[in-house]
Amino acid sequence: MPGTTLRAATDPPRTPEAAPGAVASPPTGDTLRAYAARSTGLDELADERGEIRPAWRGFAARFDALAPGELARRWAEARHLIHDNGVSFNVYGDPKGMERPWPLGPMPIVVGAEEHAALARGVTQRARLFDALLADIYGPQRVLDEGLLPAELVLAHPGFLRPCRGVAPMGGRFLHLYAADVVRGGSGAWSVLADRTQAPSGAGYALENRIIVSRILPDEFRDCHVERLATYFQQVRRTMVALAPRGGDNPRVVLLSPGPYNATYFEQAFLAQYLGYMLVEGADLTVRDGCVYVKTLGGLHRVDVIRRRLNDDFCDPLELRADSALGVPGLLEAVREGNVAIANALGSGVVQTAALMPFLPAVCRALLGEELALPSVETWWCGEPRVLAHVLAQLDDMVIKPAFPTGRIEPIFCDELDAAALAELRARLQANPSAWVAQRRATLSTTPLWEAGELQPRRLLMRSFAVSEAGSEVGGAYHVMPGGLGVVAARDQRHDISIQRGATSQDTWVVADGPVNALSLLRPAGAPVELSRGGGDLPSRVADNLYWLGRYAERLDAMARLARTAVARLPDGAEPTDSLLRALRAQARILTPPEPAPGERDRLAEIAALIFEEKQGTLADTLRAVHRVGRAARDRLSSDTWRVITALDQELREAETWAGVVNTTGAFSSLLDRLVALLAALSGLVMDSMSRGHGWRFLDMGRRLERAVSLALTIDATLTTAQPAEPLVLESLLEAADSAITYRRRYLASLQAAPVLDLLLTDPTNPRSVVFQLGALLEHIVKLPHLPGRARDGIETALAGGADALLSRLEETSVRRLAEVDADERRPELVAMMAELARELPALSDALTESYLNHATQARQLARLVWRAPEGASER
Amino acid sequence: MIHHVVHVTEYLYSERVSTSHHDLHLLPRSTPTQRCLREELEIAPPPAMRRERTDDFGNRCTYVEIHEPHNNLRVTSRADVDVAPPAPLPATSAPWEAVREAVRAGADADARAARAYAFASPHVPTSSAAARAYALPSFAAGRGIVEAARELTTRINKDFVYDSRATTIATPVEEVLKLRRGVCQDFAHVELACLRALGLPARYVSGYLVTRPPPGKPRLVGADASHAWVAVFVPALGWLPLDPTNDLVPGEQHITVAWGRDYSDVTPVRGVIMGGGRHDLWVSVDVSPGEPAPATG
Repeated sequence: MPGTTLRAATDPPRTPEAAPGAVASPPTGDTLRAYAARSTGLDELADERGEIRPAWRGFAARFDALAPGELARRWAEARHLIHDNGVSFNVYGDPKGMERPWPLGPMPIVVGAEEHAALARGVTQRARLFDALLADIYGPQRVLDEGLLPAELVLAHPGFLRPCRGVAPMGGRFLHLYAADVVRGGSGAWSVLADRTQAPSGAGYALENRIIVSRILPDEFRDCHVERLATYFQQVRRTMVALAPRGGDNPRVVLLSPGPYNATYFEQAFLAQYLGYMLVEGADLTVRDGCVYVKTLGGLHRVDVIRRRLNDDFCDPLELRADSALGVPGLLEAVREGNVAIANALGSGVVQTAALMPFLPAVCRALLGEELALPSVETWWCGEPRVLAHVLAQLDDMVIKPAFPTGRIEPIFCDELDAAALAELRARLQANPSAWVAQRRATLSTTPLWEAGELQPRRLLMRSFAVSEAGSEVGGAYHVMPGGLGVVAARDQRHDISIQRGATSQDTWVVADGPVNALSLLRPAGAPVELSRGGGDLPSRVADNLYWLGRYAERLDAMARLARTAVARLPDGAEPTDSLLRALRAQARILTPPEPAPGERDRLAEIAALIFEEKQGTLADTLRAVHRVGRAARDRLSSDTWRVITALDQELREAETWAGVVNTTGAFSSLLDRLVALLAALSGLVMDSMSRGHGWRFLDMGRRLERAVSLALTIDATLTTAQPAEPLVLESLLEAADSAITYRRRYLASLQAAPVLDLLLTDPTNPRSVVFQLGALLEHIVKLPHLPGRARDGIETALAGGADALLSRLEETSVRRLAEVDADERRPELVAMMAELARELPALSDALTESYLNHATQARQLARLVWRAPEGASER
Repeated sequence: MIHHVVHVTEYLYSERVSTSHHDLHLLPRSTPTQRCLREELEIAPPPAMRRERTDDFGNRCTYVEIHEPHNNLRVTSRADVDVAPPAPLPATSAPWEAVREAVRAGADADARAARAYAFASPHVPTSSAAARAYALPSFAAGRGIVEAARELTTRINKDFVYDSRATTIATPVEEVLKLRRGVCQDFAHVELACLRALGLPARYVSGYLVTRPPPGKPRLVGADASHAWVAVFVPALGWLPLDPTNDLVPGEQHITVAWGRDYSDVTPVRGVIMGGGRHDLWVSVDVSPGEPAPATG
């Protein structure tokens, strides 16, 4: 049926659609029975007679019995869950924000247990085949010698990592994790659109989908005997443990991530947390004596197994991609030495290309002695003249893809091209045929997508996941996830189905006839694990991020409070607003004041600029910094904490849309009130729910240090010169520093510089005074982990000494003297004191980061040899 | 002829390097026309770990870790290498298209092995229309591969100017083809791109030239530093070396260290450092008449 194509997904022929731009109608309680009755094409739920297929019947009966509007109500709750949990993915090349909420639909895709078992056998066989193929490619290369594969497909593939040839991976297997993107074609049988052998993503999203959908449809989920995904993840854990070169029950497994800018970083952080692996980036690891270590606050800890999400060529800048800033120099040598296991083995990306598909049946017969059970969609590699001619002859029906990974070339749908574009494509294919693969546009089945109360048939792609069984040999068994990641095309999706391009994901339910094993890893069962009070195993990079999270959050708090007070005091005239604006500029590290701002509107405009402007140091910029470092430490923060960080970001994004339009004091006040409240929630969560490990310690040190710096900057900007309106300034400072009540209780209404300075600088009982911050810092410093390989207590003593000296200076200082005014109305003692704080506090911060966090230095590639003209050699 | 090679590579760092990892391709391999009699690698500061291995191309590589803080790294390679005189070029050879077809079909074990050098590699594209167009005048239909490749070598030598300031490591072959300037590495990459664009396997050879030539012989361009040339696959004969920088067929004055698809496979000193600031690189090569091999016993 070549006329029906993926493109038809844009325009399903069977169902009337809401007119474009129509307001979503209230839920009508569309039923699956009605959906089936109006279905005409190949559909997952409906058979050709318009009846519900057996696997779906149990679910459909329960679903159709839901009260109208019930799913909509539950779904609205679930959307909050997605938002609040921060389930997200990154869109490459998205200039704004770049993090998007994970698109999930509430409707599951139901697959019968028997049908899934058959699919799983096919997926298992393909995994075994790729495992055996990799062992051959990096070993004897029988497939090339016997002509089973064109040599070019391997030898010209940039993913064929020559330095890995002859390197036996730990346990002998190459492919531990495999995923297949399967579609149901016109015949009704499953076939594979793409194989994932590099570092398959999506299993974590599948799990997240399951968690959410099983909460929306709890009864349906329970009654339908849906197979649990946990069996798959349990197998992943067992397999990773079994890979450890040193054996033992508790090897250190880390998840190597490309970092927070990767498309699936959320999933990586989620999986690491779920599986109990440390989430690391390349810079967290180091190779010493051919062994891999993770750099933590407590020193170097040996790593046994690396579950990588980083593409293999990026893993070692020494022997693989020299331009990789994400890898670990020497990693490949550590593999050679047999000191670390990597899943999947380095080099496994070479078989992740559709160009192999035409050759798989023959390779399967040769390497496994079996017929290929799960076919690929019809595919041609254009590198052979005969094949190229065949492809060119029916180009209209083809989807063209690159044969080798080359940046981000989108699949080309030939039926969408005009004559000129088609001619150009022909020329490109003819110029370099071996670089291209052609696939016939597949006719895909549809599945119901729930959208504003209506059920729409949408094209389906399913990603199925397999993990090798622990300790098995090359070509050995795999366990397939009973479920998978359903990816359902968007209404107007013209290209291949992918989340990056607007598709929606759906949970996949494999329904059994009888009760299923109610295994869950969320509350780990089984053997008791070794108790750990941890702390020393915090990666230095994470400690660095937490430290800066503390600093930026506190800076944000200081700015929001100052701005709020300034806005509230606008009607008072020039003071105290001008003083507060100076303090706010100081927090933003903006040194040059603008021209004097006489009017209230202008002052409001300056406050708006200090909040919103796209400039370094503004409140918006500081908030982005909070979000950035928070995200980099995402796996160390509770979901509640992350929720607050997301909410902060959301506030500002919403506010930005009306900045410049609504600039009334009222609007600013309420925004700033909300920011201050959220920041209070953040610090409350940090104090109340973060375990007192080193992570918390560094976060709190960041807060303490920044609060001291903020106060010093504020006092320096406002009180070093006395002025007639000083009482107003003092009052607003107390307000901004949340110390007004204490002051009033102690001194009633009499506002004077000395008692205010006492309260803000030297009072050890005021949790907002500088002395209080220094005391807290000192307590942290003495509890820092001892750095291995350094003189015992050396660093700690030096740091503590620095903090202690400052503390003593302040404690010995008389606030009366600080408040004394000279002939020019200046306070010279206060100026000197603030200058000392401005010098010593950053020095303390530098000493701290240099001693503990400096592992964060980037590794760099040495310049290669450049030929110079030899001395005396004449140029020709 | 026995040569004594001393090759010093020194990196001077503006700031301290706390740890570094290196991959060296410095020990000369043995070939059908070359024997390495003695070799040593001296590394300062002394490495915490050092491993020798043979890579997939049969080259000798050294993996090194240094964990001692240092401001400079000095790698000295010393070797005595016995190089045999070259065999005379055959008067006739297979037509170049026959070579291409034999390789494409994987006709025998040698042809299959040669395919490793037939395709695109990081520095050498195979789909370069410019390289193909440049090569074609030498590759008339049915012309013998040796004769054609030898002429291509001469043309590159005549058409391109040796200019150490025109290019860097990162200059792509297409750009060198436009500039018509470069150093031995560029000329080698150009010739490889030409040969591979025609479907002919060709490999990159890194090595040295005799710095003090025998009396009466001219000093070759590229001495005093590492040198690079190419070798093209000729069925039955094996691999024919060709030096486009000096327009000759390498013989006793060329000492082979390693070969691969291009420079990236055989970079003499690679490294990733932590710290270091800016760095300067100094290289010197001295090739002098060597001692005869010690009596074997």
